[in-house]
This record gives sequence, C-alpha cells and structure tokens, in this order.
Amino acid sequence: MRKVKAGPNGAALTADLSPSKLRARRRWRRLRENHPFLVMLIPAVLVVFLFNYLPIYGVLIAFQDFMPGDPILGKYTRWIGFENFTRFFTDVQFWPLMKNTFLLCIIGFVIGFPLPIIIALMLNAMKGRRMAKVLQTIFNGPHFISLVVLVGMLTLFFGRYGLVNNIAAGLGGDRKSYFLESGAFRPLYILSSNWQDFGWSAIIYIAALSNVDPGQHEAAILDGASRFQRVLHVDLPAIMPMVSVMLIMSIGGLMGVGYEKALLMQTDGNLGVSELIATYVYKQGLTGVPDQGYATAIGLFNSIINVVLLIIANTTSKKFSENSLW
Amino acid sequence: MASLTLRDIKKVYPNAEGGQKKKKKKNRPEEPGKEKANLQITDEGVVAVQKFSLDIADREFIVLVGPSGCGKSTTLRMIAGLEEISSGELYIGDRLVNDVAPKDRDIAMVFQSYALYPHMTVYENMAFSLKLKKVPKDEIERKVREAAEILDITQYLDRKPKALSGGQRQRVAIGRAIVRSPQVLLMDEPLSNLDAKLRNQMRAEIIKLRQKISTTFIYVTHDQTEAMTLGDRIVIMRDGFIQQIGTPQEVFNHPVNLFVAGFIGMPQMNFFENSRLTKENGVYEVEVMGKNVRLTDSQQAALKAKNQAPCNVVLGIRPVHMTIDEGDFAGKIEVSEMMGSELHLHMNAEGNDIVAIIPTVGIDLAAHSIGKTVKFAFRPDLVHLFDAQSGLNLL
Repeated sequence: MRKVKAGPNGAALTADLSPSKLRARRRWRRLRENHPFLVMLIPAVLVVFLFNYLPIYGVLIAFQDFMPGDPILGKYTRWIGFENFTRFFTDVQFWPLMKNTFLLCIIGFVIGFPLPIIIALMLNAMKGRRMAKVLQTIFNGPHFISLVVLVGMLTLFFGRYGLVNNIAAGLGGDRKSYFLESGAFRPLYILSSNWQDFGWSAIIYIAALSNVDPGQHEAAILDGASRFQRVLHVDLPAIMPMVSVMLIMSIGGLMGVGYEKALLMQTDGNLGVSELIATYVYKQGLTGVPDQGYATAIGLFNSIINVVLLIIANTTSKKFSENSLW
Repeated sequence: MASLTLRDIKKVYPNAEGGQKKKKKKNRPEEPGKEKANLQITDEGVVAVQKFSLDIADREFIVLVGPSGCGKSTTLRMIAGLEEISSGELYIGDRLVNDVAPKDRDIAMVFQSYALYPHMTVYENMAFSLKLKKVPKDEIERKVREAAEILDITQYLDRKPKALSGGQRQRVAIGRAIVRSPQVLLMDEPLSNLDAKLRNQMRAEIIKLRQKISTTFIYVTHDQTEAMTLGDRIVIMRDGFIQQIGTPQEVFNHPVNLFVAGFIGMPQMNFFENSRLTKENGVYEVEVMGKNVRLTDSQQAALKAKNQAPCNVVLGIRPVHMTIDEGDFAGKIEVSEMMGSELHLHMNAEGNDIVAIIPTVGIDLAAHSIGKTVKFAFRPDLVHLFDAQSGLNLL
C-alpha cells in the first residue's frame, strides 16, 4: 500500500497517487464541500422517488389481466404480455382517440407556445414599467381559477342562454348550443386554456428578459435600431436558450393533455372530438367495470409517445442549436 | 468629427410618485436643496448634473473624471441621447441636438460592459449599425475590415463574443463604434472591466487609435491615470458640478481646490491642515506644524494681487515634491513601500498623514524602515495653499 506523503503545509502530496485514487479523492472532497446542499436535496429526492418513480412499478399491470383488488405481483397474477396493447391498437376507438388527442395538442401547442413569448416581449418593451406590472398581474390572474370554475364560466358565456347567445339573439341571430357542437369544442378548449395560462407561462420569459444587459439595448438604440428591431435583435436572442428548453419540454409533453377539462366540457354532442386518450383511460380505468390493466396499457403507450417526442426534440435541438436538456 | 458645446446642462431625476407618497405618509418631507450622500435632492428631484458648460473642439480628446456618482456618466449619456436633458443646450457642430434621437446625432458609444450582441459574430456586431442604415453590402464589408485592421481583430471576425477575451471584446466594442465613422466617439469607462496589465495595453491602443481616426473623443473614467494620459483636457467633476477644466498639466500643477488637488495625482497630495497664512510687514508666510515657511516671490505677488488677508489654510505638497533627511520637519515612518526604483514612505508628522516618494538609488533602506523618524522638507515654490474654509486654491 502506498503512503501519502505530507507537504510542508501539512497538505497531502498527491503526486504518488494513482489517477483513480485521485479521482476518488476529488469526488470525496466535493461531497464533503457540498454536503449542506446535498442534505437539502434529500426531501426533494424523496418526494420525486415516492410520487414519480415508485408508482412506475404500477405499469406492470399493463401486462396483466388485472382486476381491482388484485396484488400487482402475487401468486395468482395473470401475465398476458402485450395483449392489452394489441387490444388498444385494434380498438375501433384507437384512430379517433389518436386523432383527437393529436389535433387538440398540436393546435394548442402552435397557438399556446408562442403566445407567452410574445406577451413577455411586449410587456418587456413597454415604456411604462408600472403599467407593464399591472398588466402582468392581470394576465396571471386566470391561472388561479380552477378548471371547474373555468368551464362554468365557459358555460355562462357560451351556453345556450349565455352571454354570447344573448348578444347574438339581441342582434337577431339564432341561439346555438356551443357545447353540443363538435366544431366548437377545440376552439373553446384551446382558447380558454391559453387565456388561462399565457400570463403564467410568460413569467419564465419575463424573468429571462430581466437579465438582458441594458447596455445592449442602448447600443442598439445608438446603432439606430427601432423598438421592434431591438426586440428582434436583443430581446429574442437573449431568451432563445430558454425558448429552446421550453420547446423541448413542451414537445415532450405534447400528448400529455389532462382528462379533467375535456371531461368537464364533454357532451354527447361533442363526444366525437372531445374523447381523448386521457378521457378514455379515465373511463376505462375508473368508471363502469374498471379495466385497469387496459387503461394502464393505453396510458403507458401515451407516455412512450411523449418520451420518443422528447428524445427527438432534444436531439434535433442539440444538432441545430447549442441548447438541449441533456 | 465635430465640435461640441454644452451650455448650462442640468439633469434632474424626478422624484418617483411612490416615493413622494411614502414620504407624505411618514410625514417627513425632504427639505428643498437638502444634500443626501453626494446627491442634491430638491423639490424637482435628484439633481445629478448641473451648471455643466463646456466647449469641446473638433478632434479634441476630453476626459470626464471624478468619483462614483459625480455625474460624469450621466453627462455622457445626455450627450449620447440616452438620457433626457432637463435643461440647457447641447450642440454637436452647429446643430442643437437636445431633442434629436440618438441614432440621428451621428455619435457612437463604447460601453463599460462591452454591450456586444452575444448571438452575433464579431463581423455581424460591427456591421449591425450599417445594416440598419441599409449601407450596401460591399461597403459594409470594406468598412468592417478596415476597422478590424485598425484594431487588429481581423482574425476574430467569425467568432462570437463569448469566444473572445476581455481585451478582444473591448476592441470589438471599439470597432463597432468606429465602423460608423461617427462625428463624436463616446467612451464610458471602457477599460474598467480589464485587469491592470490589459488596461495599460488598451490605454496605449486608444492613444494609437486616436492618431488613426479623426474624431472627437469624450471619455469617462474614474481613474485619474487614464484621465492624465489620454486627455487633451480633463473635466474634473464632483457631486454633479464641474470642479476644474484644464490640460493634465494644468490640473496637476494648479488644482483649483482641495478636491481636485486630492483627486489628481497618485499618491494623492499631502495636506497639512491647521496651517496658517500670516502677513507681517507685507510678507506672507505659512505657519506649518509650528514652523514658518516663507513663500516665493511669485507666490507673494499672487497673494498680494488678491489682497489676501491672513487666514487658516491647508498647505498641500505632492509626495514627489518632498525631500527627506533634511529640513525642519520630522515624521515617523509607518509604512515603507518599496516600488523598485522609488520608495513610498508613509509618515505621521504631528497628526498629519503624509507620503514622500524618494528614489531608491543610494539610499540606506534600514534608516528608512518602519518606526524610524526622519527629517523632511519641501520646496516652497511647489506648495499649494488652500483656504481652510472654502477649499479654494489661494495661489
């Protein structure tokens, strides 16, 4: 065994140590230096493990003929391989569900992704900082409305005897049941979602914009750039790394639309477009005679699509820009 | 290139409404004209610059110098058009430009933080203003390459700013400014972010640059060495007011007041407080630390011309104008700094902290070590006399 020599000031002379021992020593030193932060990290790691990783164990039921109350791993577990998946792919609902989910998400993404960026840039470019702050607060407000209240508001505005119909009737038009019309579901869903979240989503971009060196704006002013050109050449490039990360994350969660709002807005009239993978999973897994193995298989399939999208988005971003999640 | 005229320029930052409300709530209204720290607060707001009048000649290199918060950067920003002028007139050439947009003033500015566009290459950074002006591509190419050659950054044209060192970035920032061939080039503490060695190098580069491009320079710094080495004339500012305008020699040899005397020169001028100007039989003398110093004939004449009455004064003498191991005064060495060719002796003489700079050639270092008491003297013709009350130079 090699001995570690001590230097004149008592520090160990590392010249005699092998590279692996040196690495281990450095690692240990870093751990020692950062131990307060590592201790602070423990609760967060525990929460993520308990609520995000541990439940992954439950996906096993996607490969089982599972009945509520059965143990996931037990003596009588009935393993059926990919049968639940095959059943979903051959289900008459498969393509309509895929189409509905994909269309709702993609349209929502196309409208909803740039909106907070535009709002953040506009608020940042406003001369009156006070007014910008007031507007930002107003824009954040809807985020705190619960989905049930939001859908209630939609009913009040767009219901048969709601505000919009009252105005239309007052102007001599016909009353329409927007919630019974399949054509109105997507616009109502997407616009209300964006209305609720654009201000909240803009916060991250506003924070990124606050880090822009004011000197760059002043340099651009002296260079002769107009307000719009400054947004284009100073602000937008400054938040591009953030935009890239958010874009990757949004694409990664593209098909991950929740069931709650769609279910609340769902009527017999719009079922053809409002039935999504998420609502179908909910219905299969928790209503009627629950088929939780089947529902889990559909959910798992949906998650795999999201993971694939995330990998594609990240790889593409890495290739064409300097920004990526990993 | 163009001359500049600043006439009675004033900058007031109005009080924020919120601030006023808070003051009202606390029932503690600010007294008009009250001084807080080094800012003057009036009913109008915080006065950053006032009574600033200056004529800058075509192709002159003017340096605005002063401590932090003295209003030098605010003045520069008013010239650039980045700050509104509260009152007064600013002319570039013969044109009144108070209300002219910054881009139409035909000026360029180099910022302390470089303010380069990080997503653009060096070439794109330098070409940006010309592109916005819709200058033809081949002309942009020519101008950018010309500027890059002057600054020796041609090899970095394809790099992005983050791939450059501090000094290279500063060259790019200067390049971006000169590519437009502006009438006036403004520089706001351009060397502050550089280390001492690079700062010296860049200072020399700026001197060379000045010879290569014919434009009017206005340079802001808090570093008096930069001011002395770069400026044709120096404007020394304090608390929003101009203290003195003059060539480096003028401000060094004839500081108008105690502030300028203390600000210009490194180490700063020694001050002997509690001194007294006396006049007996028409002859002026200064009593310093209990000893009388007879003033020179020219100093006598200057005081007589003013009909100066005896008064309490502060006697100032530069460290380089002191001699040791001779004279009537004595001081105890507290710190001895060996600078190579010279020795800086920090002494205490009857409560006055003073510094003497002496050449090291042929000196007995042991006799000038900490704790030793040494004699010192100064040449009367090199002393400065300041009125103890007003701080104004009496000579």
